Amino acid sequence: MTLTIVKNATCTFCGCVCDDIELHADEIRIVETKRACSLGESWFKNHTAEHLYPDALIDGHPATVDDAVEAAADYLLNANMPLVYGMSNITCEAQREAVALAELIGGVVDSHTSL
Amino acid sequence: MGFVGLLGCVMLRITGGKVYDPANNINGTIQDVCMDNGRIVADVQGGRTINATGMVVFPGGVDIHTHVAGAALNFARAMTPENQRAAAKFMHTKTTRAGIGGPTPTTFATGYLYAGMGYTTVVEAAVPVLSAKHTHEELRDTPIVDKACCLLMANNEIVMDLLEKGETERAKDVVAWLIWAAKVYGVKAVNPGGVTAWKWGKDAKQVHEPVHGYNKVTPGKIIAELAKIVDELGLPHPMHLHCNNLGAPGNVATTLETMKVLEGNRAHMAHLQFHAYGGDDWHTFRSEATQIADYFNKHKNLTCDAGAVLFGNAVTITADGPWQHLLYQLTGRKWGNLDVENETGCGIVPYTYKGSNLVNAVQWAVGLELLLLIDDPWRVFLTTDHPNGACFWRYPEIIHLLMNADARKERVKKLPAKALSRIVLADLDRQYSLYEIAIITSAGPARALGLTQKGHLSVGADADIAIYNQNPDGEHMFRYPRYVIKAGEIVVEEGDIKNVRDGHEFIVKPQYDPKIEDFLKPVFQQQYTMSFENYPVELERVHGLQQVKIS
Amino acid sequence: MTCTLGEVKNRADFMIYWGGNPAECHPRHFTKYSLTQKGKFTPNGRKDRTMVLVDIRETPSAKAADVFLQIRPGKDFELIGILRALIKNQRVNEAMVAETGLPLSKLEELVAMMKAARFGVIFFGMGLSMTRGKHMNSAGVLMLAAEMNAFTKFVAMPMRGHGNVTGADVVMRYTTGYPFGVNLCRGYPRFNPGEFSTVDLLVRGDNDACLVLGADPGATMPQPAIDHLARIPTITLDPKVTHTSRLSRVHITTAATGISAPGTAYRMDEIPLPLRPALKSPYPTDEEVVRRIREAVARRPAWLPERNGEMVV
Repeated sequence: MTLTIVKNATCTFCGCVCDDIELHADEIRIVETKRACSLGESWFKNHTAEHLYPDALIDGHPATVDDAVEAAADYLLNANMPLVYGMSNITCEAQREAVALAELIGGVVDSHTSL
Repeated sequence: MGFVGLLGCVMLRITGGKVYDPANNINGTIQDVCMDNGRIVADVQGGRTINATGMVVFPGGVDIHTHVAGAALNFARAMTPENQRAAAKFMHTKTTRAGIGGPTPTTFATGYLYAGMGYTTVVEAAVPVLSAKHTHEELRDTPIVDKACCLLMANNEIVMDLLEKGETERAKDVVAWLIWAAKVYGVKAVNPGGVTAWKWGKDAKQVHEPVHGYNKVTPGKIIAELAKIVDELGLPHPMHLHCNNLGAPGNVATTLETMKVLEGNRAHMAHLQFHAYGGDDWHTFRSEATQIADYFNKHKNLTCDAGAVLFGNAVTITADGPWQHLLYQLTGRKWGNLDVENETGCGIVPYTYKGSNLVNAVQWAVGLELLLLIDDPWRVFLTTDHPNGACFWRYPEIIHLLMNADARKERVKKLPAKALSRIVLADLDRQYSLYEIAIITSAGPARALGLTQKGHLSVGADADIAIYNQNPDGEHMFRYPRYVIKAGEIVVEEGDIKNVRDGHEFIVKPQYDPKIEDFLKPVFQQQYTMSFENYPVELERVHGLQQVKIS
Repeated sequence: MTCTLGEVKNRADFMIYWGGNPAECHPRHFTKYSLTQKGKFTPNGRKDRTMVLVDIRETPSAKAADVFLQIRPGKDFELIGILRALIKNQRVNEAMVAETGLPLSKLEELVAMMKAARFGVIFFGMGLSMTRGKHMNSAGVLMLAAEMNAFTKFVAMPMRGHGNVTGADVVMRYTTGYPFGVNLCRGYPRFNPGEFSTVDLLVRGDNDACLVLGADPGATMPQPAIDHLARIPTITLDPKVTHTSRLSRVHITTAATGISAPGTAYRMDEIPLPLRPALKSPYPTDEEVVRRIREAVARRPAWLPERNGEMVV
């Protein structure tokens, strides 16, 4: 089986954000993480392309992403003071969307920094 | 939402207004201006008509030097929450994003504030390659206005090391490669050599003395070589220069020396006000605007912007790290410093210009003096080096002072008595006409930038237009445009943002030998901390990209 | 007064790690950016540098240090104050020095080393910024570094933890003007740490819905905050079903950042870096899901803030 090799990959596990990692991956999992530290290695190997979890859950029951998105929109828009929280393990592009969403629902947006 | 620009083929006619289009020698003639599909056209059949009777029609404003996006400005935002709290608030509406004004506005507010004043193109004047990705992200969320960036280059150690070895041809390839890597429009030189020296806590104050850590490289050599490289690469905008010794008493000598070095090449002298001082210390501080203007008037290879100061709160943000350390020591206020590996640095100090302070009074006068003493308005442009001298949204206050000698003289009377012998402002009677205001706010900077589709209303030009109610009070007139049109669409009407669309970003691709990467990669790997392959900005990160052809 | 990590690599001949354990928490910090890396003006790497570790206990990082200063827990702010006085040759109260658990002679040696440096850097970790004194400690360290510039080149830099928390700061600053804890309930950004910070809001029970992104507060927050999250409609986006997912009304599985989701992340010194995913996820990215929620909200009748007189445009 041929492996996909990604050079100059970036590890987002800790604040060092090392961008010189070489990843070797098959279709399902990353099998080698050159130059990554032990924390980075377990981070990369801990996530696979398997469908291990349901796409979405509503009240604990499997649901479609479409339904979950609609339910989320209802909850957030109907709240007086919704909170958008976390933001550390997502991309800047997702963070930018999150701020726009917080504005649209009139909420608070916060990250780990405030802890 | 600021995300989606509304695209449309909107026909529009402005009729009855007095048109000021200096690039076409049109000086207040009443004539129609038509546009279709974002461009000026000779005529339109149908579409909306704006009756501009009693109003004046200007090409949209062009800011040649401002700091509105990037790591340094974003650092300043973090440092000054007290400014944000006191600043104007921008409400979330159906068309606009929430935001905050003040000296370091949020990106969305920046777009609304510029457009709200009739400005449609802005140049972010200080971008490091290392964080250029970030600058482009901020510019993506700076709506309405078109944008361009100048790349910080005069303290780039790879370039300086090549100049030390006399390898100027290779330096040229490196500069060209870096311009394309960062996806920018022009080259900026800030305190050449001084920021690199600051990495060891030193500065570079003498134009012809070697920079700390070098034997042959002097600020003068960096300036001359970079100006030459920019001209040889054929960039539309000449080297954009922030001289050594910014803000220091007696720096007129440095500035004159620098301008002599530039003979034979083009250059744009940024915020000249900060470089036109006499005196030996803060007690003997005085204006040398006359001396600078005399030299400048005779040397047509140069353009400049004023970098005028207004009394009130500012935040000084500059790649000139050593000056900022001095300012911190002088004021005892907050100081932020951010050194960027191998490339540049930046310092941030909040500052208040006080009318009662002798030095500040002289600075205020020098900015206006330069604008009045430089005789060719096509070579001096309105800026405040935002947010260093004052906030950009205060430009109308300066316009008023330029157009009204009596108002200026009244204000001079309120300065400290000691200041009056240090300045010449009280003796200047020149008053700017509307035609000249259109030059220094639009036609002139557009021409200096080489943005051929901006700053005029010829057929084919971008349909960026500001329409003002004529008013003897220049400040009021220029603060509240009646309409602002961007790319043929009405974006501001009576002070309200009516329509938000995303602007373009202008970039250039100068020619270089692709083999330069073979030289750069090992040097990069030794001196930097990221992967060489991750260093260039990917093309798709520049939103609304427009590549300007190099002649 | 800070810098990018390359400046440390190329120039720093003296470094203090304070309240952090990089050997275990940021394993490549020493080798890629600071201590052992060879730089332009530090060609011999480790030999060209002196390292001091300040911490409350002897962690594995101490093995890498030239000098280890074991400070009493909670006395960081006092030590910062003492150092700020010592660099200016001011007298210090010996009883105060004794409280830090460190002898004055050691501190005088430290100050001598700091002043003798060509380029000094202080890296401060969560052992400083998240313990007694909190942001006052961070501010103190930054002041110490600023004041050191009267003698030599000196910078300070936080050792930020979670992957892209720096990116969150950066994005919130340019979009809202503030770095975290931004309240948009009135339609414009407001900032008041302590009032609008997540833990305070949840413990007080102020929020009536919550969207959790790239975090697992259900595993890490104080119990009253977790209890409130379980009471209100909580929506969680995560590559796995987490503790927080289990107390949420809605969970959506997303692709893992940098592994199967592309985009940008910021290093602790605010350098943006592109992500290069190696896997193709069966799940959508956080970016895509948040955008879809935003679009779903936009399709509903809009919430618009009241114009209450504070509004300008």
